[in-house]
Amino acid sequence: MLDTFEILTTSGVVLWSRRYASVGPHIINSLIRDVFIEERVQPQTEDSGSKPTYRKEGYTLKWTTVKDLGLIFVAVYQSLVHMTWVDKLLDNIRALFVGLYGEQLENKKSSVVNCNKFAPYFERQIQELEGQSDGGSSATGAKLTPPSSTDNESADESVPKINPLQRQQKPLYDTSADSTPVPTPDTSRPTTPAQSHLLTGKAGPGAKLSRRGKKKAAALNSAPVSSGDEASVKRKGKASTKKNRVWGDFGAEEEDPSMVLDYSQSDLRDDAPEAEALEAIDPESWGSRTGKGQFVLKDLDLEMDQIIAEQNAKSQSGTPAASGGGLVGSSLGAIGGLFRNVVGGKTLTDEDLAKPLKGMEEHLLKKNVAREAAVRLCESVKRDLVGLKTSSFTTVESTIRTSMEKALTKILTPTSSLDLLREITTVNTSNRPYVLSIVGVNGVGKSTNLSKIAFFLLQNHHRVLIAAADTFRSGAVEQLRVHVRNLQELSKREGAGHVDLFEKGYGKDAANIAADAVAHAAKEGFNVVLIDTAGRRHNDQRLMSSLEKFAKLAKPDKILMVGEALVGSDSVAQARNFNQSFGPGRGLDGFVISKCDTVGDMVGTLVSMVHATGIPVVFLGVGQHYADLRGLNVGSVCRLLMS
Amino acid sequence: MAWYDEDSWATAAFAPRGSTIAITFLLAVLLPVLLHQFLYRKATPTTLPSFLLIGPSGSGKTAFLTLTERKAVAQTHTSTAPLGVEVLLPEDYMPQSSHYRSPGDPAYERSRRFLLLDTPGHGKLRHFATKQLANPANVRGIIFVLDAASVAEETGLNETAEYLHDVLLALQKRYTEATTSKGPKEIPVLIAANKMDLFTALPPHLVTQQLEKAISDVRKSRAKGLKDSGRTLGGEDEDLDEEREWLGEGGEGSFEFVQMEEVGTTVTVHGGNVIGGESADVKSWYEWIAAQL
Ligand SMILES: Nc1nc2c(ncn2[C@@H]2O[C@H](COP(=O)(O)OP(=O)(O)OP(=O)(O)O)[C@@H](O)[C@H]2O)c(=O)[nH]1
Ligand SMILES: [Mg+2]
Repeated sequence: MLDTFEILTTSGVVLWSRRYASVGPHIINSLIRDVFIEERVQPQTEDSGSKPTYRKEGYTLKWTTVKDLGLIFVAVYQSLVHMTWVDKLLDNIRALFVGLYGEQLENKKSSVVNCNKFAPYFERQIQELEGQSDGGSSATGAKLTPPSSTDNESADESVPKINPLQRQQKPLYDTSADSTPVPTPDTSRPTTPAQSHLLTGKAGPGAKLSRRGKKKAAALNSAPVSSGDEASVKRKGKASTKKNRVWGDFGAEEEDPSMVLDYSQSDLRDDAPEAEALEAIDPESWGSRTGKGQFVLKDLDLEMDQIIAEQNAKSQSGTPAASGGGLVGSSLGAIGGLFRNVVGGKTLTDEDLAKPLKGMEEHLLKKNVAREAAVRLCESVKRDLVGLKTSSFTTVESTIRTSMEKALTKILTPTSSLDLLREITTVNTSNRPYVLSIVGVNGVGKSTNLSKIAFFLLQNHHRVLIAAADTFRSGAVEQLRVHVRNLQELSKREGAGHVDLFEKGYGKDAANIAADAVAHAAKEGFNVVLIDTAGRRHNDQRLMSSLEKFAKLAKPDKILMVGEALVGSDSVAQARNFNQSFGPGRGLDGFVISKCDTVGDMVGTLVSMVHATGIPVVFLGVGQHYADLRGLNVGSVCRLLMS
Repeated sequence: MAWYDEDSWATAAFAPRGSTIAITFLLAVLLPVLLHQFLYRKATPTTLPSFLLIGPSGSGKTAFLTLTERKAVAQTHTSTAPLGVEVLLPEDYMPQSSHYRSPGDPAYERSRRFLLLDTPGHGKLRHFATKQLANPANVRGIIFVLDAASVAEETGLNETAEYLHDVLLALQKRYTEATTSKGPKEIPVLIAANKMDLFTALPPHLVTQQLEKAISDVRKSRAKGLKDSGRTLGGEDEDLDEEREWLGEGGEGSFEFVQMEEVGTTVTVHGGNVIGGESADVKSWYEWIAAQL
């Protein structure tokens, strides 16, 4: 069973919600944070067609969005329950909501959307879909899952899918409305509001679009927008299209799509001249006599189907190819498209974006961003832009640029601040030394950067113990000893903090040495321990696995990985493997990117590493001196990447 | 040379000359474009005074915005996009500039109208707010909303203080870097200590104290922290502008909000709660807004 369904805006306001069981707001908040903002969790999809899911505290969340209106539709249910129809529900509700309130939503100066009449639509959808899945084993159920359902097709089929159900339900209405005239209106009535509304339900362009959409839909699918009434389809057959046009004039009188409840009366009156049989019946009394609720429900069904069909048709005709009529139309459309490309106001489609995005990808690759990261960034830009209108006087290219800058800023900006000095103070107040350790592949500059960090801490008058836990490579300890001697010299000259080396020679277990160093530091009153580890290839299983024990014994407060700015496409694998090597519940806390001074504006490695893990860059090494360590300036890196 | 002469402008305008054709063509192409631009520019100007809602995530910015817009709080979730809403100051408050106006005056109605701009508070999405801060056209005031209950803990306090520090620093920079002799228009800051209905919430005077202390720490550790990569990677000379930005008065003393007055920013702290308790209590915030209008 569904626990909660919410319709909210990207600005965080819940427009409409339905709750069956109370679900804390933090569940949806963490969906927004993890998936939309931090993109930490890659939403899983079971198969290509279905909607992504997100799990949190025993709940499963499924969602869909409307980008240009900034809407998010979220369904929350218990993970234990297997719900097959949620995807369908999300699609239908999205189409309904946009169809009904799209105009209100375009008003950007307000957060209010007057949608308190939405509940019956929603209830009806739930009933319908639940009913479908209950009878899932029967023949209807078999029909519901067409053998091949690609994304495009499913849009077409959404209406026909509902048909079998309505057929099932019809007897129910007929029996409940047991007054005499039922057979006659039943054949003519359901179709009428359906089609007349389809043509005029939305005044102006809406009507045009739907007609066009209908034409196309009709070509693809025998009769997607007919109300699903078997009899009417049979009887009217081909003639129905012609008649539509006549009825369109009647329908034009009622433009407000929210006047659902009046259909039963007004439409009947409109039909009267057409369907002779109806003349004898007083519409008012007829309506009231036959359990009004039932008919209201039915009208709701019809209206819903139309809106959904209309929205689907619209999304199909959204591609320029479909909207141009004939040769003249298409060439005019092409010119208009070119013009709009320059002036703005063009609705972006996949095709529009494909080429400039390819160029953007190439550009990023040239900046040494790993292919995987570049592709993902471009995808996220595409997701961001498809269906959006370019604003005035902006080309597609510049729109993409802006969006890419935003994506880069978002990916590089850390979620919380990275103030090492404050963290040290906080940890020291609980009377233990702050432990920072450094990992990385061979030769990237682990010891050098460790010394730079030590120098920075010494300048801030900390007492630093450097632990030589690289017991593997010969010369490693000596190298550190030289660094420590230099640092001691420097700090004496500047009157800064105090530094010492902790070493146990070669061949011993690194994890034990690290743990000993921490104990030693606590005893001797050092307040920071920096641990240097042996360099290891990230695909060397044996050496990588020892990191888990290291993390357990030394319990570092922070683990930084050093990566070279030069590294290129290997960076993604490096970052990922190191991030996963510390056992469950522990990962890297940040990156130090070394040798940034040697790459000019090709700083793509930063992006690749952050992209692979979602872990921020803490320091940049920019030179040979102890003072050549910098924090990350997101703005300037973005500028370099986009230049 | 009269207008009907062979080579006068009038003849040229009707002759099949290259230049005439070029001018006509240019006119035909550019006119609609310029017209569009003109109309587009004309339709958008927002001369409404606006107030910027800033603060860490989950502090109640969006909740306050919905309360102001519809007199009742809507349910909210973490925002990922900014939102600007035109609102009216509630009836019971009198805009500062309208004390002499009678309630029937249309100008009175107009003066109660303002734009409320909500920004996302999540760490990765603060660039929306920073952009607004960098170019605060029409911004009459900044409302920094914070969660008074989360400020009672170390981590919440630090996050809030850091954000507030950055906001105040941006305002200070705007003031000190101004080129006009008078200095730019003052932008006051209201620190809206929200969620006073929770029993763990700190009272406003403690919020002030804690924040001032925490900002002092932030300021100190920022000064000691590493330089950022902007200049080095940008290929500029690093030593050019060594001076760090330091919020408020120099010296080792602690930071106080009054120090901001010197750079054209008055900081006020008021408590309130958007939801909970018997009812919402945001009177003092509205009074502050009214005083700026
Ligand atoms: N108890 C209490 N809760 C409040 C109050 N104001 C807001 N909240 C709750 O705080 C939560 C966050 O409020 P939002 O307005 O969404 O927070 P925000 O500042 O917009 O956060 P971001 O959009 O993430 O920046 C919501 O669940 C509100 O119900 C209050 O005065 N008292
Ligand atoms: Mg918000």
